[in-house]
Amino acid sequence: MSATGRKRVRSAALLTLLVALLIGGSGCGDLSNDELNRGVESLSALAAQGRLVANGVARDATKTTYARAMARTLSEQAEHEAEKLADATLEEPGTADQRHAAVAVAEEISGLLSTLQTFPGDERHGELVEKHLGEAGEKADAIVAQLSGDAP
Amino acid sequence: MRAILKIALGIIAAIGGFLDIGDLVFTTQAGALFRYDLLWAVVLGVVGIAVYAEMSGRVAAVSGRPVFDVIRMRMGFGMGLAALIASTIVNVLTLAAELGGIAIVLELLFDAPYSMFVVAAAIALVGIVALLPFGGIERFFGYGGLLLLVVVATVFHQNPDWGEVGRGFIPSIDSSTLYLYFVVGVFAAALMPYEVHFYSSGAIEERWTEENLKENRLNAIVGYGVGGILAVGLVIVSGFLFHPLGVEPDNLGTVALPMQGAFGETGLLLALGGMLFCVGGAAIDSSFAASYNLAQFLGWEWGRYQGPRKAPRFTASWLVFLLLGIAIAQSGINPVDITEYSVVLAVVALPLTYLPVLLIAGDRSFMDRYANGRVASFLGWLYFAVIVVLALAAIPLLLATNAGGG
Repeated sequence: MSATGRKRVRSAALLTLLVALLIGGSGCGDLSNDELNRGVESLSALAAQGRLVANGVARDATKTTYARAMARTLSEQAEHEAEKLADATLEEPGTADQRHAAVAVAEEISGLLSTLQTFPGDERHGELVEKHLGEAGEKADAIVAQLSGDAP
Repeated sequence: MRAILKIALGIIAAIGGFLDIGDLVFTTQAGALFRYDLLWAVVLGVVGIAVYAEMSGRVAAVSGRPVFDVIRMRMGFGMGLAALIASTIVNVLTLAAELGGIAIVLELLFDAPYSMFVVAAAIALVGIVALLPFGGIERFFGYGGLLLLVVVATVFHQNPDWGEVGRGFIPSIDSSTLYLYFVVGVFAAALMPYEVHFYSSGAIEERWTEENLKENRLNAIVGYGVGGILAVGLVIVSGFLFHPLGVEPDNLGTVALPMQGAFGETGLLLALGGMLFCVGGAAIDSSFAASYNLAQFLGWEWGRYQGPRKAPRFTASWLVFLLLGIAIAQSGINPVDITEYSVVLAVVALPLTYLPVLLIAGDRSFMDRYANGRVASFLGWLYFAVIVVLALAAIPLLLATNAGGG
């Protein structure tokens, strides 16, 4: 093979490798147990973040524009996570129940944050949302424990 | 008195230019994920940028040549062009991320659509650059950036376990790819190439000579040192509040939450205000750096002090880069994602930026008695070795961790 030919083959191989790596890293395709676990963990993280925002509202220690914008962003993230979990095909069918529970938790978190978005200056709503987000976070943690086999 | 004021202004300018969206995001995420374990990486990055900023400022003051002039002179046209392309891509991505960052902070403060604020931010930047002299631009963003000192106050308000904080400054290597990715990210965020491009060109804009070398050293050490203290503070407040709760701070607004927790609405507003000025200053720095590099490489007249009439191509290129930044920021890609990619891609461009600076600063035939001494040479080569290792590791780590997503 000529030098130019070798160079072309090498370029094509590098390009193929890059595309394969990008596709591999993009999260397309079936949902493995690990990915499901990570998805549910991210719900717990979203709930924790939402609680901090709600706590600011409950204590009247925030700016309403900030609380509203943060609640909107987090709510959209939770909704997106719910869609991702609902759409994906499970690699392990035995985890279908956990997936359904996770979708429900994601929708619950999204709904609570939407409430906060509507009432960013209302301390009572802030208190309630903080409390319920805490409970939603606990549910997410329980699903993670089931998936990793740590649940009683 | 005038000299002290000059130093103070330089220090303030360094704070504004150092804490950009990349630093804000990576340091906060580092604290949330690894608590205080990555404090040593922040210090490593701060010392690195101080070492190279001092060198590039010294070369500019002594020879009248900014970094990109030196790159072309030392590495020739081919490698110089490669460095220009790499740094321009990183600078434009950084600019887009900073414009997006300004828009996000304005959205948090005024709750209006993000896309409107991207355009408003760009118009405001054009207005500020048109109205203020170079020193005035630095002071405007630098003084504003000092609002972020609320982070330091938050650290003391939280009163963390100081023993645990202290242990974070001792380098430790965790074998997990996510940890290594954050080591690279935190280090690279501190050493973004635009900082030395801007710093050395700024030295020419301010007409530095050998008489300014002391000022240059103080600016580099104390200025970046203070910026580093703020970055360390961000890791600590994030580690204290977010780590135990499992929060993953992937929004710029989350960075301000610890300050709200400590000081209520006042803390929140100070943090958001400080972030606005820091990110705005970085937008100026990265956009100017892109135009400086292009103009210096092609031999155009350049510099804010020359004005649009004397340096029309420089001014036009600045506006074109700003428009590109707006287009990317408006594309719908999250600015935090843009910054993560630009920071990691910057690592790959780092050797092309820092090797010529190191070589020229140590060249006695060029720098005479102002060439690197033993300490500067040792630190310069040590850091260059670290930069090369990280440059090789950056892309595999980016892919292996799905850009830090685990």
